[in-house]
Amino acid sequence: MKVIEYLSQLDRRIVYLVLAFAVMLPLIIPSVQRVRVMTPVAKLFNAVDAIPDDRILMIDFDYDPQTLPEMEPMGIALLRHAFQKRIRVAALSLYVQPLGLAKRALDQVTEEFNQRATSYADSVIYGRDYVFLGWQPPPIVPLLGMGISITSVYTRDYYGYRTDSLPMMRRVRNFNDVGILVSLSGATAPLWWVAYSQTRFGVAVGAGITAVSASEFYQYYQTGQFSGLMIGMKGAAEYEELVETKLMLVDRRKASEALGSLTAAHLTMIAFIIIGNVGYFVRRRSRKGVVK
Amino acid sequence: MKRRFPLLLVFIFGIMGIIPYYIPHAAYQNFDNGLRNDFLRILSAFAIILGLVSLMRVHHDKIKRKRENWQFSYVLIIGFVVSGIIGLLGGVEGELFLPTRIAGFQFDIQTLYLNIIVPLGSTMFALLAFFMASASYRAFRARSLESSLLLGAAFIIMIGVLPLADRISTHLPSFAQWVMDIPNVAAKRGITFGIALGGIATSLKIILGIERSWLGGKE
Repeated sequence: MKVIEYLSQLDRRIVYLVLAFAVMLPLIIPSVQRVRVMTPVAKLFNAVDAIPDDRILMIDFDYDPQTLPEMEPMGIALLRHAFQKRIRVAALSLYVQPLGLAKRALDQVTEEFNQRATSYADSVIYGRDYVFLGWQPPPIVPLLGMGISITSVYTRDYYGYRTDSLPMMRRVRNFNDVGILVSLSGATAPLWWVAYSQTRFGVAVGAGITAVSASEFYQYYQTGQFSGLMIGMKGAAEYEELVETKLMLVDRRKASEALGSLTAAHLTMIAFIIIGNVGYFVRRRSRKGVVK
Repeated sequence: MKRRFPLLLVFIFGIMGIIPYYIPHAAYQNFDNGLRNDFLRILSAFAIILGLVSLMRVHHDKIKRKRENWQFSYVLIIGFVVSGIIGLLGGVEGELFLPTRIAGFQFDIQTLYLNIIVPLGSTMFALLAFFMASASYRAFRARSLESSLLLGAAFIIMIGVLPLADRISTHLPSFAQWVMDIPNVAAKRGITFGIALGGIATSLKIILGIERSWLGGKE
């Protein structure tokens, strides 16, 4: 009894310490965890995979440093998928803060592909295979304006080039030339693409979101307004799994490596909740005994 | 006039925001697009300047009057000025005329962002996990039927999203998915309808000038 009482009244610093070890240990020796791919991610993968040659994949990088560990693997997996299938990509952000992170993901994946490339045709070239449109405030301008003309909303790209001078953008006019738009966000940006861009111009929208915000998005996925969903670290790991198994593209899988840490953290929290509840019931029973 | 003019502007632009959804004619669509692409962007640029000036005034005032935690305002102002100078004169990646590299030490905006803002932001968010663990250990109790159901659903979701779930039972991930797909959506959709109807009613009240609290002061 004393042990249970002691465990149910642990100092919060002990809770922090145990959780810190649970999170850190699997990260010190990372190992890729295999996952079963669930329907929302499979649908998103298939939607991206089915983009025809005359259309592009548009990625809205709208995550910030706070949600980076969950969201960045999604962006990287999407870019690997697109570049491996030679799908052209237009990247953008609705806010200024994610720009640096979007650039980091684009730089990493283009470097991966260009290191393996054996010819110019094999390489991933800026302006031909992808463009980075940057940021245009306020968000409502790109959300609606790109339905009419992308190059008139983003007259210059992130690097300052005129967008209408880039070879890829000469054949891309508006949302009619976008196969699917995938919004990666720790907040509600994917809902705006549905509410404004899809409602008005019919563009297909997919979303990559944090696990904690997932419940907000399922209703739109169920109605078909989202073509697919990637949810949290597990969603990113499932997309990585598909990229590796279906496209035979073997690269570092950060989300799959982090699942060990996620598992340990979840189990630790569940254990603490159970201990807390056992202690609560023991104390309640003993209090009832005293009253009798 | 001081009150009527803003009300008139809200009415006109509020109605103009609704019309494009019902009039697909190219002439009106082009007008709407031009209004948004040019007028709104200019307004937004002024809003950014207004926001920055206001931020500086608030923190300057805080330092002057030595309000609580006034020392941190120095950090904000110094950070603002330094990053402003580096960004405006040195460019995002040091492409402009201000040198942003001394020997091996690089300090362009992208480097500062990736090495200061990213670790700080990640650290702040990571702390949340510890507070959640501590709070759920202390407060997440099966006190009633409702809280027991919540606890059960939380366990199913928390285990269901792990690779481990498949090893426990192949049905567990599917069951976790079902919880998200059906009971979660049922509740969320009800809430969404309520919020949407409330949003429409409030918007109409603002456009029609019935709700005027946004003007400030008393009517």
